[in-house]
Amino acid sequence: MTLLLGALTIGLILSLLAMGVYVSFRIFDMPDITTDGSITLGAATAAILLVHGTNPFIATSIGAIAGAGAGVITGVLHTRFKINSLLAGILVMTALYSVNLHVMGRSNVPLMQAKTLTDYGDSLGQAVFRSESLILFGWEVGTAEFTVLLLSGVVAALAGLALYLFFRTHIGTAMRATGNNAQMIRALGANVERNIIFGLALSNGLVALSGALLAQYQGFADAQMGIGMVVWGLASVIIGEALVGSRSLGLTIAGAIMGSVLFRLLVAIALRWGLNPTDLKLITAAFVFAALVLPGLMKKINLQRSKAAA
Amino acid sequence: MLETTKIRKTFNANTVNEVRALQGVDLTIDEGSFVVVLGMNGSGKSTLLNAIAGSFRVDEGQIVLDGRNVTKWPEHKRARLIGRVFQNPFSGTAPEMSIAENFAMAAHRGKIRGLGWALSSELMQSLRDRIASLKMGLEDRLDNAIGSLSGGQRQALTLLMATWLRPSLLLLDEHTAALDPKSADQVITLSDEVIQRDQLTTLMVTHSMQQAVSLGDRIIMMHRGQIVHDFRGAEKKRLRTEDLLDRFEEIRRREQLDESAAQMLCDLYI
Repeated sequence: MTLLLGALTIGLILSLLAMGVYVSFRIFDMPDITTDGSITLGAATAAILLVHGTNPFIATSIGAIAGAGAGVITGVLHTRFKINSLLAGILVMTALYSVNLHVMGRSNVPLMQAKTLTDYGDSLGQAVFRSESLILFGWEVGTAEFTVLLLSGVVAALAGLALYLFFRTHIGTAMRATGNNAQMIRALGANVERNIIFGLALSNGLVALSGALLAQYQGFADAQMGIGMVVWGLASVIIGEALVGSRSLGLTIAGAIMGSVLFRLLVAIALRWGLNPTDLKLITAAFVFAALVLPGLMKKINLQRSKAAA
Repeated sequence: MLETTKIRKTFNANTVNEVRALQGVDLTIDEGSFVVVLGMNGSGKSTLLNAIAGSFRVDEGQIVLDGRNVTKWPEHKRARLIGRVFQNPFSGTAPEMSIAENFAMAAHRGKIRGLGWALSSELMQSLRDRIASLKMGLEDRLDNAIGSLSGGQRQALTLLMATWLRPSLLLLDEHTAALDPKSADQVITLSDEVIQRDQLTTLMVTHSMQQAVSLGDRIIMMHRGQIVHDFRGAEKKRLRTEDLLDRFEEIRRREQLDESAAQMLCDLYI
């Protein structure tokens, strides 16, 4: 049960990553690898501030802002210097690896002694439920774990709602059009370059927020924790679209959250059944590959079949 | 009012692919005038429109619109003054967004976009009325993705979007060339209606002589990046398609003469 709660919590925390990837990949139509660096940047920044006794809310916010800054740099490289968006992301991701090591001063920062948001969650749980553990559907679960899970859910839901509301405003609508038809929105007076920079900042801000929360949940920040995270986010977004379809904005955002949780659950189950953790990234990549290619392939096969039938 | 003074544009300068697309175009368009631009392929007519819209900076010359020198303004800033409809019906709308959302963006053309709700109820009401007047049955489908509509419908909507806020200048770049004849007629009729109703200063590029003689109050003919003919007033009214064809034939013959003369000189001296 603790395992399940843990998987759900991490799934919800990583749903912020999934939403960030959704913004860059689906709304702005550019897979942004900065993600791999900015999730670590968020974790590293928050962790080092926490170790120095900063208020966890402030530390987490600064982590997210640092990630947004990384997104701005990628955006500027892409729009001002006309570097291919994928390459711009790769450059910033690579640079961030050094930056993250500098921020942390070493490759791993444990948060055992520091006061984190998870500790706040624990105390809040104790205050509300007044016991060390409680019974949930006949299972005994730790109050602390349960409260942190609930809070992660609240954060994910609030972030999703804020994102949805933002993309329905005048400026948010113009952002969506930027990824959908840049020529059109430019002819309607929007500064496409500025929109892209802002979009990447928003995306990487969410990703870094996810990283900051993840570090506090797992109790450490690590220089390697970002590797393959953009693919992880893509997998979540794709699963989400399979669950709810890609018709409306609200549904796809909710889908990204659900996809992230479901994917984390599947991974937890697979690991439980004896999947070698070493193979995890390989399988994730293979999964995303299949999800990208299969729909087109199915269409082709169906077409050929109907042709053969006719 | 639009005034271009000696604007020049050369693409791929100093290479084998050098194209002198605009070679000193002087053009003054009065307030409320509807000008049709004719010319053969590569004559520079679309380049002229793009230069005015700001898709690129001109190499020389200046563009003044509404008393403002916009020569150095980026494209998105000029959009405050200019409404555009492109040749490609897919260019003017965001396909995955709804009809209503596309219009919400058009209703903020060139304005500062804030955190206000894009689909306000006032907008939806005026939108329903305006789109109902198209008689395409689209007023009940405002929430549908605009990409699900036909090219003709999208082009009609793009025209409404471009003129939702009254533009100082309307640019129509062969906006019916990619449509089937029936849709093309509908869009042309709609364009003329909107332009007459709002007295819009308009620059329209077309390949159709028929459209050129029946629409607008002035025709300019371009060739090799320059304006070679300018018909207006009574002369424009008298103009028939045959006259225009004659002028094109004249240009073509002069061209051939140039080429054969060059060939002759070449044979003689080299």
